[in-house]
Amino acid sequence: MPEDRTKTVEATQTKAAKPGASLLSRITAGQGSWNMLLMALIIIEFVVFGAANPKFLRPQLFFTSLNDSLPVFIISIAVTFVMITGGIDIQVASLVGLTSIIIGVAWQDWGFSIWGAILLAIVVVVACGAFSGFLIAYCRVQAMVVTLGGSFLYSGLALIVSTMSSTESYQGISGFPDAFKFLGGYKFFDVFPLQMAIYLLLLVIAFILLNKSKYGRKVILSGTNPRAAEYSGINTRLTIMSTYMLSAFAAAIAGILLTSYLGTAKSDLGSDLTMDIITAVVLGGTLVTGGRGSVIGVALASFAIGLVRFGMPLCFKVSTQYLDIPIGILLIVIIVGRSAASNTSVGTRLHSLFAGKVTSKA
Amino acid sequence: MKAIKKILKARESSSVLFLVALFLVVGAINPSFLSTANVSACFNTSVVYTLVAIGMAFTLFIGEIDVSVGSNLGLVATIVGMMLRDGSNLMLACCVGIFIGALIGLINGWGVAVMKAPSLIFTLGVNGVLRGLMYLVAGGAWVENLPKAFKDFSAVTAVGDLTVYYCGAVLLAIVIHILLTKTRHGHNFKAVGDNRAGANLVGINSTRTMLLSYVICGVLAAIAGIIFCSRIGFVTSTTGSGYEMKAVAACVLGGISLAGGVGSVLGPAVGAVIMASISYLLTFMGFSSNYDNAITGVILIVIVVADALIQARSAEKNRHARLAARVSDDVTADVAAAKGGE
Amino acid sequence: MQRVPDTDTPGSALLSVRGIFKSFGTNAVLKGVSIDLLPGEVLALIGGNGAGKSTLMKIIMGIYTYDSGEIYVDNERVEHNSTKEALSRSVYMVPQEPLLFPNMTVGENITMGFDKSPSELETELQAAVDEIGWHLDLSRKANTLSIAEQEMVEILRGIMRHSKVLILDEPTSALAFDEVKALFGVIKGLRDKGIGIIYITHRLAEVFEIASRVCIMRDGIIAMAGNVSEFTRDDLVKGLLPPNAEKTAERAEKAARSIDYDADPVLELRDFSGYGFKHVNLKLYPGEMLGLAGVVGAGRTEMATTVFGRDKVLGGKVLLNGRDITGLSTKKVIAAGVNYVSEDRFCYGIFSLRSVAENTTSALLGGKRIGSFFLKRDEENRITQSYVDDFRTKVTGISQDLGDLSGGNQQKIVIGRTFATNPKVVILDEPTRGIDAASRGDVYAVLQELRQTGVSILLISSDMEEVVELADRAVTMYQGRINHEFSKRDINQDNLMAASFGAYHEDGEDA
Repeated sequence: MPEDRTKTVEATQTKAAKPGASLLSRITAGQGSWNMLLMALIIIEFVVFGAANPKFLRPQLFFTSLNDSLPVFIISIAVTFVMITGGIDIQVASLVGLTSIIIGVAWQDWGFSIWGAILLAIVVVVACGAFSGFLIAYCRVQAMVVTLGGSFLYSGLALIVSTMSSTESYQGISGFPDAFKFLGGYKFFDVFPLQMAIYLLLLVIAFILLNKSKYGRKVILSGTNPRAAEYSGINTRLTIMSTYMLSAFAAAIAGILLTSYLGTAKSDLGSDLTMDIITAVVLGGTLVTGGRGSVIGVALASFAIGLVRFGMPLCFKVSTQYLDIPIGILLIVIIVGRSAASNTSVGTRLHSLFAGKVTSKA
Repeated sequence: MKAIKKILKARESSSVLFLVALFLVVGAINPSFLSTANVSACFNTSVVYTLVAIGMAFTLFIGEIDVSVGSNLGLVATIVGMMLRDGSNLMLACCVGIFIGALIGLINGWGVAVMKAPSLIFTLGVNGVLRGLMYLVAGGAWVENLPKAFKDFSAVTAVGDLTVYYCGAVLLAIVIHILLTKTRHGHNFKAVGDNRAGANLVGINSTRTMLLSYVICGVLAAIAGIIFCSRIGFVTSTTGSGYEMKAVAACVLGGISLAGGVGSVLGPAVGAVIMASISYLLTFMGFSSNYDNAITGVILIVIVVADALIQARSAEKNRHARLAARVSDDVTADVAAAKGGE
Repeated sequence: MQRVPDTDTPGSALLSVRGIFKSFGTNAVLKGVSIDLLPGEVLALIGGNGAGKSTLMKIIMGIYTYDSGEIYVDNERVEHNSTKEALSRSVYMVPQEPLLFPNMTVGENITMGFDKSPSELETELQAAVDEIGWHLDLSRKANTLSIAEQEMVEILRGIMRHSKVLILDEPTSALAFDEVKALFGVIKGLRDKGIGIIYITHRLAEVFEIASRVCIMRDGIIAMAGNVSEFTRDDLVKGLLPPNAEKTAERAEKAARSIDYDADPVLELRDFSGYGFKHVNLKLYPGEMLGLAGVVGAGRTEMATTVFGRDKVLGGKVLLNGRDITGLSTKKVIAAGVNYVSEDRFCYGIFSLRSVAENTTSALLGGKRIGSFFLKRDEENRITQSYVDDFRTKVTGISQDLGDLSGGNQQKIVIGRTFATNPKVVILDEPTRGIDAASRGDVYAVLQELRQTGVSILLISSDMEEVVELADRAVTMYQGRINHEFSKRDINQDNLMAASFGAYHEDGEDA
């Protein structure tokens, strides 16, 4: 008899509360068709924005503007890993700022070389991720709460670090060596940013990691059914903890590139990224309950969101602050549509039309 | 006696003790803190957080969450502020504000209870839309020049140095607590969060209960928005941002579980005071405001980890005790077993 | 399609359903079901997994709506659109899986949803608990209860509601012998008071013990019905199987095995103690299938999971071919050559949203067979396909989601996963629990095949027939200790049953 009552009662609750579990799996098994939907959305955006203002399609402007969304692109890939394990990470945004300010202060005030400062920042930030991940995986504290506390803690730490500098915190540290600014500033053929190339490389690595490696399989199984994963001999706790280290690492990379691009290190860099990151991950097909997620899907989704953030102001003169409205609506429509598809008979009939197609797990 | 024991054992009591300890520590470091004016200020500043946290508690009880409360507060504050600035009747403005809060709650409830969307994501989307609407409605400008009487009322005290607003909030918390624990249907919220299918089985309409909890949350956030206007006196384009996280923190500090089914509304009320006054307390202790966030984070993490570890420890102990109870001490069985294995 | 031949008009019946049809999407689950329940009778409802029993009951309880048909309670036509309505008509269903509120006390759980004053409820509750004679601490939190205790709380809820119609969905699946006896006493008492009881069970013996009439459901219809006195056990089994079922539904022929008991044991437990069991001494020989019988709560699963590295060892040793593997982590235990199939497939066994292939190879991730860093997909697929073929598992392909398979096929996949690690010892915990008769035969055939490969199997089972059928030797556990061992010729249901209750004596007389 399973002696762990809470788990049995919980499992029963889940079983009873999700009568459409196999239907849901069929829907999201259609990751291939979901990705195609996202592609269609992107194409529509290109058409609409391009028609409204042909400047949208000009490569230089296009890539430069996408740079603004780069942190979201990068971080959302890693947060996908976290959410596949059934967790969530809302501290990543604060880790971006922490990375930035450590680079600044270490280089300017503590005498580190720029590369030493970068290394220090990465180590510290990944340690933060490990700390939160440890609490979540080994102490079994809810991810939402730990990363919530983490977001306060790490943004607070960033602020404290900034006070250790001779520069006033609100000013930000600048004057970085050209070698560093090269990372964020260089463009191949004056058009395609190096940052983008770095992102694409990370994308490929993440894809391989999730879909082709044993580690990725462990992440997926730990999220699908952690108990069954344990009984299969998988060290779920270590696996789950590592995903938070991955997302912290991604935040560090984003922080490095952003600092390099802006030329300034500030402790509050990236503070408003959280909603876009979560939106991208969810829009990309990741199940909030874990077990399903797609790197390609998230990349496409973050791209679609980035296009909106770039296209709307340029083509329709919509001020950036209003952009939360269409993105919020997009998120609502997607999530309600997905729930409706799995929970109502109309939806399932409609979807069986789609799901018959590709069942690739991108 | 049994009742007193039960109260002492309650998780909320440890929150209260923590708060008292906090005050004492600050007072030890800086005795000038220990005046009724200062201590009351801690409570008074927490009124907005308290209302939002109580509303959030309802959604946490049912095992969900509402991260749109911050922009709900902000939007209502903006609209009510604009109405009052332009000379509207106070009653009308408040009614409009509360109506908007209820409407937002209804939309959230529809998404989560009827369409069965995951609440974090759905309310995140609503949050974004509301934030954009806030900007739209105010045209990106601040809302200022609110009627003086309206602003001054926020300083009116009721009991000692505690403002009318705060006393009202406390009263509200107590009334809600009584309604939730002593009435027939008060348990429904936690029942739905504890086991939704089980609640359905015993005849509770879980959909209606969930809708109601979101509407209550929306209304309380709206009321908080109105009070915000009164207390702060102006509304910016980012008002309310981050309040949802403070509310969750307050609830968690007060013993509510994000999984649902656990806690009371008194806990968040205490937690809100802690969240609101950290900055204030830290000043007394000589810390610059730079340390606010970090210390908030540490407190939250420490409390939550302690909670989880204590729970896990007692669950393990229970389990081991139960299993041990099944094992007999009969030695003859051992003899028979020792004969086993040819 | 046979109708229940008792009453053609819903005249004297307490509860009647007529011509109920229900489909989920394109999946037709109920295809015209009619049943009558008379006052003061126990109607047994049996059927395989997927026959539609639970769906029918949920329709009666207002949890699901039906597409067409009629429901009558006390000759009145009713529409049970919500649970509340069903409850108000004094119909109550005790669910198969307890649906309690984990964070509330037992007392609160039982009284939730009532419209009476708390003090009234308290006295009523105490009376009900006393009447039933079970010992339950009303102030305990529900998440500390065992499954059996949770069942009892659910049943108490039904009793508290003074229902006219009580539906019990597999109430004894988690109860101990004395608890079952007490339950039957309660059921008989309720029956005598004129309450109608629908009793769903997989245990055919119970039908004969408690029920006066029986309905056999199969594939969404009532296949057979009548008075229990008119049926034999074989009749029931025949009724359960689809008309063209092969004889796989009958137990597989066991090959005569000669086990070398002079060889060194492949697995040995020496004075092994942990949470829920003490001083266990056990030897498992190469190629042997050792049955481990006992009642629920005897400590068999706890012993197995502790060997498997899931819980702390309190004393003693576990030796695998002489090598000490006591207290090793699950990963290392699997690598050493011991694997375990949990009794709760849903909770600990299956990755419902993942493919058959991913499920089959999940335990291989620790080793190098499917790769060191990168996954060797072709190897993975080859392994999966070989098990699918060998076990004759019904899948549309190895990329099909496990959640879409039937319980029996899911179990085959999990068993496949366990054997894929090339273990020397496999511990199977209730391998055929919750599996319908047809798949059961399949699983037995699979187990027989696997025995040929020389793997030693420890078969934990509450199904005495199963142990009799399959085991070379059997031991019983009682209250956390091994209390008896039976050689092949002494293995029979009576002995096993007696020993499981601590009532077996060498001279054969019961205590």
